Amino acid sequence: MSFAVITQTLLEGFLITILIFIITLVFAIPLGLIVSFGSMSRIVPLRWLTRTFVWIIRGTPLILQVIIVFYGPGLIWGWTAFPRLEAVLIAFVINYAAYFSEIYRSGIESIPRGQYEAAQVLGMTKAQIFFKVILLQVIKRIVPPMANEIITLVKDTSLARVIAVREIIMEAEDFIKSAAIIWPLFYTGVFYLLFCGILTLLFNYLERRLSYFKV
Amino acid sequence: MSILEVKNLKKSFGLSIVLENISFSLDKGESLAIIGSSGSGKTTLLRCLNFLEIPDAGTINVGSETIFDGNNPATLPDKEIRKRRLHFGLVFQSFNLFPQYTALKNITLACELLAKERSDYKENRKSIIADIEKKARTLMDQVGLSGKLDFYPHQLSGGQQQRVAIARALALNPDILCFDEPTSALDPELTGEVLKVIKSLADKRMTMVIVTHEMQFAREVSDKVLFIDNGIIVEYGTPEEIFVNPREERTKQFLERYSG
Repeated sequence: MSFAVITQTLLEGFLITILIFIITLVFAIPLGLIVSFGSMSRIVPLRWLTRTFVWIIRGTPLILQVIIVFYGPGLIWGWTAFPRLEAVLIAFVINYAAYFSEIYRSGIESIPRGQYEAAQVLGMTKAQIFFKVILLQVIKRIVPPMANEIITLVKDTSLARVIAVREIIMEAEDFIKSAAIIWPLFYTGVFYLLFCGILTLLFNYLERRLSYFKV
Repeated sequence: MSILEVKNLKKSFGLSIVLENISFSLDKGESLAIIGSSGSGKTTLLRCLNFLEIPDAGTINVGSETIFDGNNPATLPDKEIRKRRLHFGLVFQSFNLFPQYTALKNITLACELLAKERSDYKENRKSIIADIEKKARTLMDQVGLSGKLDFYPHQLSGGQQQRVAIARALALNPDILCFDEPTSALDPELTGEVLKVIKSLADKRMTMVIVTHEMQFAREVSDKVLFIDNGIIVEYGTPEEIFVNPREERTKQFLERYSG
């Protein structure tokens, strides 16, 4: 088994990894904001419903959620199952939206009341207060915890293999069976390390860009 | 002619009554100092004037306009509240500058956002923005910070931040400028510069309501003094009357404690 062929196969798997990563972020980042508004809502039933949802999602393993989304609809209601990749994406988006929502919530709640009040007495509307005064301060505060969570997501994508989505770990593991070699599995680490390294640099850059002010 | 008239204002939080029967009036160009111990309701009174709290009863008039009427507390649309609270400016104890903006931008931001609602904004955008900035520079000069226009709040001392906050409040041309213990969060050596700015505003006959613990300053700067204790007005009069010849026993006790 040549290095080139193995690299090629792992790259194919890694594309799936990156696909899960990107789609999850694209949907979970805005969805998390909606969830966070729900968990801060003044409407008590909505708040409790949202918080219960977040508790369930954060309190159970992602791997279990992936399995349930894939097998659940068919076995419980007799529906046609989601395609494997879609099932993974649905579970990941919901799971990460719940985690992100808590990060947003803590970020929004950490902004002192005085900031809202100062903007209010200056005659700003609610929308102006949020977008012109609060938002950037929240972003600055949530960059470090978001970076942490997003780097965790890179590695969580490997859970997709539990329902046989051929991401990079699954591809590498197959070489153990087909060629009795283990080094492709170690080789996957290089992909993860490079990718996480790039993300770390990106987040450091973002933190530096936001360091011109203090909150 | 009185520019501010407060009548029988009442405010409670749950079961505890914070303000009761508060009535006073203020003429244009006058300064009112509100004194009293912590928790006496001074700050709540200021917050009622600025619509940060909604009183339970009473009326607030600014000029000939009733801006709050407790007998008819119809919930106002957001737009109307915004318009009414612009009669007042408020300087906070903790400055509350916006950390992500420079001193200059802190002053211009609200003005720019308000200007967008003007009907001629699109045609005259450039000149409107230029005017706002020019005014902000003048204000920064007035509070003695013309060299700090591009500084961010964290690069300024507490006293400087508070002076920017004063300029920010002035930029919207409030009829009445309120101060909520403007020097309480400052190191003693920085209070002077802030008090000097407030004094200069009093000399220019800016109408002001100042909640303060600085008795000496209240005496120098104010035309009227209101002593509040447990949510009610104990004594209301000229600085002379309150500080030199207080009638009420509670006023005397309070002043004794504060003059150390």
